[in-house]
Amino acid sequence: MQETMFIDPQRCIGCRSCVAACRECSTHKGYSMIFVDHIDRSETTATMPTVCMHCTEPTCALVCPADAIKMNEDGVVMSALKPRCLDCRNCVNACPFGVPKYNTAMHLQMKCDMCYDRTSEGLKPMCASVCPTGAISFGKYEQIVPLRRTKPVNAHVFGNQHVETKVYLMLPTDETEVNIDGCGVFEGRIGLTGEQQAQTGESWIDTQEEQSDKSNEF
Amino acid sequence: MATAAKKLTRSGAINYMHPTIIGVIASAVLTLLVIVGSRNLEHFDSALFGYTIASIVAFGAIAFRYAIWLQRPATRTYFRRGLQLFFQRKKFAANTASAATTVATNLVAQKFIFKRGTMRWLMHALIMWGCVIAALITFPLVFGWVHFELEGDLGYRAYLFGIPTQLMQGRDIFAWIVFHGLDFSAVMVIAGCAIAIHRRLKDRGAIATQTFLLDFVPHMMLIAISVSGLMLTASSLWFEGYMYSFVAMVHQATVIMTLFYLPFGKLFHVVQRPASIGVELYQRRSREMPQAVCPRCKTEFVGQMWIDDLKKVVGELGFDYRMANGQTLQDYCPRCKRIMRGLAYAGLPDTKEKVFYGTREEAGHTETTKSEKSSQQ
Repeated sequence: MQETMFIDPQRCIGCRSCVAACRECSTHKGYSMIFVDHIDRSETTATMPTVCMHCTEPTCALVCPADAIKMNEDGVVMSALKPRCLDCRNCVNACPFGVPKYNTAMHLQMKCDMCYDRTSEGLKPMCASVCPTGAISFGKYEQIVPLRRTKPVNAHVFGNQHVETKVYLMLPTDETEVNIDGCGVFEGRIGLTGEQQAQTGESWIDTQEEQSDKSNEF
Repeated sequence: MATAAKKLTRSGAINYMHPTIIGVIASAVLTLLVIVGSRNLEHFDSALFGYTIASIVAFGAIAFRYAIWLQRPATRTYFRRGLQLFFQRKKFAANTASAATTVATNLVAQKFIFKRGTMRWLMHALIMWGCVIAALITFPLVFGWVHFELEGDLGYRAYLFGIPTQLMQGRDIFAWIVFHGLDFSAVMVIAGCAIAIHRRLKDRGAIATQTFLLDFVPHMMLIAISVSGLMLTASSLWFEGYMYSFVAMVHQATVIMTLFYLPFGKLFHVVQRPASIGVELYQRRSREMPQAVCPRCKTEFVGQMWIDDLKKVVGELGFDYRMANGQTLQDYCPRCKRIMRGLAYAGLPDTKEKVFYGTREEAGHTETTKSEKSSQQ
């Protein structure tokens, strides 16, 4: 089986080494394509690392009017082809995982391409090579899985849509898929009224991240 | 080097009937323009017959390819909406100004390529302007839209569609520049392609993602055209026409191959890129309209029209991202989509299960369940 990525958010300590390392990738030099988001800053220090999951049927590629996003035979969904990308941002807003980034001045979309310059030569992607906790790992399924007690799952359900991906998420349960239906709420807020739940109590870190991360502009 | 791309289609069968009709009409229109523009073929140069036929066929093929491209749900939506927005009466002047700005900054000055890289801009400017100059000189000549007549000993007068223009003196610097226009454009194209190939051989990112057919062949074709074109000049100027007809044949062959490559390869971006006029207009206008508010973080992140169109496209493609709460996934901003997935993940472990705390095999672990916890609150 081909090598792929295994994301284990339980292990993520929010150090953002991956964010820094991602900038070193030769296919998107100087710009980081990975996200580390606080899931509920006032309740928990837990963070969610997000790389491109490389869907088997990528919504981003199919909604591209310029046919600029291609998937290669390894199943890696590449950044938009530079001559074609019109900066329409359809992919940015259609991606179920909130992954593609854009830059209006450059008229360009870029996204995680699993460090194709490295992985095509047998090296690990930048993020996986620096992650101190193994929250982001890269390898063959049969190599990684025996080392973990968590369960690799590559199926997400967003509302009515089933999305299968090349990248695996390591689940602490026996579920076979991750179900995302609605906004979601952190454990500590369960039982609170809707209004209380809506008070996110965002810290200044969130405010700092807000402008670039909410719109995905790099 | 990257492997070939997988074929991704989800928009149903492609209709070839209409694109074929459009392609044939395009070719017919160009044929008519050649006949009319050359005054009933009076000024048509029969030596350029091969080029004319290739241009007519390639023009039809480009129209065919463009029509196929417009069948993509997203492309169709942008195309229709772009035209609809452009022709709104009240905004027509503003729209024309917006389109003119896009043409000036994106298509002429190409500021966006400058932002991507200075050398990349220089490379692209050399290749593009080289090709534009060459096309402006050659196509009118090939179609018989321009011809020259000798006046006096050294006076040349160009006739555009049979209409006389400025008289040039054959030994003038101006005439020299005009007659060597194709040589200058060839040098520009070669220099631009050299920069491009140098980058493709050195840049690690480019090496990983490029393909021979998409990224090298177009440059090699352009270099072949330019070099063979320069050889024609060299042959006539310095070698008394040595091998001229053979080089002319080679030049014609490379030009025709490139014309046929236009609709199907990397060079299609030449035809595709002007779509950015429509896309920018769409973006400008959608910024003036009511904005979509992310239902989770309440941030305005993009125009509502934009999101509505996108949801329609996503639906046409056969995706169904509708959720139980009545929202569609695309209603949420990218950051909230990531956090929602994080929350779904965080909500997975049921403390009742043995696997909590990451020990799937170890049994006997007891802990209050999530439902018990919530009832305590």
